[in-house]
Amino acid sequence: MNQPVTAPVVARLVSGGGTLPPVQNETDDAQPRTERLSRTGRTIRVAVALIIMGLMVVGNQWGEDDHFPFGPFKMYSSTDPLNKPVPDTRVHAINTEGERFRLTMANTGFRRAEVEGQIPRFRANPELLKSLADAYHRRRPTRPKLVRIEIVIRWWHLDGARATGEYTEETEVIWTADGADR
Amino acid sequence: MTGVSVRQKVGTAVLKWFTEPVPKGRIAAFRTAVYLFVVADLTYFTTWIRDHVDVPGNLYQPLFIGRVLPLPVPTPGLVSVLYWALIVTGLLAATGRLPRLLGWTVFALYFEWMIIAMSYGKVDHDRVAFLMALAVLPTLGRARHGDRTLTEAGGWALRLVQIAVIATYFLAAWAKLRYAGIDWLTGATMTRAVLRRGTWFSSWTVEVPGLLIFAQFAIVGFELFSPIIFFLKPRWRYWLVAYFYTFHLVTYLSLTIAFWPHLVAMLCFLPLERVRPIAWLRGQFSGGRQGGPLPSDQQPPPSPTPAEPRRSS
Repeated sequence: MNQPVTAPVVARLVSGGGTLPPVQNETDDAQPRTERLSRTGRTIRVAVALIIMGLMVVGNQWGEDDHFPFGPFKMYSSTDPLNKPVPDTRVHAINTEGERFRLTMANTGFRRAEVEGQIPRFRANPELLKSLADAYHRRRPTRPKLVRIEIVIRWWHLDGARATGEYTEETEVIWTADGADR
Repeated sequence: MTGVSVRQKVGTAVLKWFTEPVPKGRIAAFRTAVYLFVVADLTYFTTWIRDHVDVPGNLYQPLFIGRVLPLPVPTPGLVSVLYWALIVTGLLAATGRLPRLLGWTVFALYFEWMIIAMSYGKVDHDRVAFLMALAVLPTLGRARHGDRTLTEAGGWALRLVQIAVIATYFLAAWAKLRYAGIDWLTGATMTRAVLRRGTWFSSWTVEVPGLLIFAQFAIVGFELFSPIIFFLKPRWRYWLVAYFYTFHLVTYLSLTIAFWPHLVAMLCFLPLERVRPIAWLRGQFSGGRQGGPLPSDQQPPPSPTPAEPRRSS
């Protein structure tokens, strides 16, 4: 009387259902039994699979990185003429001691690709580079303060698909501790 | 009338394909691998995500999903809480206990972790299949290592991960056509990649006329034809998976780029139920005392590891 529901039923209710009780294959003991899905469980699962596949295809053709995880799989999807110079984005910093060095992922926590991704924002608002200085100061609290940051694109020249060792630099954005200017 | 029956047959075949049963032991092994990788990813493979803790919030540019939900701007506190919560829940989930509760928790935490990772100006493309694995595993109940019982729900889950793995290749070829067009094949993408990131293993390739152009044709060819894996018999399927892993190994040696989470997700193609290190260790230490015969329906699959008694359900 005190046991109106059997343990396996409780277990099934707790585990969320969606599956029918296991079907024991009576004819051949050597064969493992199969836990089958109910018709509804199967239909829902296949529908979910088709929706996800649809989202992946639509995102790949019309989406952008912004639509992660359904954006386009665009790794190495761009192309350039063979001898077009190769860009190398660098963030240079100068501290109060006059030391000049590079800001990297190691000393700011901000990746080079992220600098490249946000270059339009830095160009529009150089004061944002102060945040990179702040990040540097958090990670290197004992080092002298930064007074100047520059984003420089170094264009490596190629000839016959070989690096010639020559480069030209373009300074994209400048921030100084006294106030930003370009 | 025959049209209807053909359509029904095709429909049934499609439903069956999406839910082709797999042994529960495979789910158990895949689950352990996936959740252990969550911990390894945080502590070893992708440590830069945690470094975002020092980057001020005005450089956080949330992705679409982060604006819709809406998720908070990461603070040092939030990043630390997520980090440690993921390590603890990831380790617990790897044991296979409370698979739904821990599974959904890990999925939610890791997804937020990814949104933080990719909301600072760069989105990576190496872990869609891994996210799929985290999303489908919690739909499955308890599964014990070595359990031969077949499960259709588990088959569906692994099928979705397989689809995401292959989509990563197939849609990558498609994206090349979208962004660069057919010129990608004869362009300088690989040359420039080797010039930027080349190693001792790959630097010489830029010297060989036409080699990297050939490589580009080969890459797009393999990406476009990768879905054939769904039509191969197991033996050939495993060879193709071996080829995929080799492709990533060569990419790693050439450019030091590896899609680690993708490589873990790709385990879903393999008969993981045969890999049972704990049962093997247990057998070693107990001197085979536990290796006695089991009832016939509880026999593990043929493998060099001794049997571990299966809890009757």
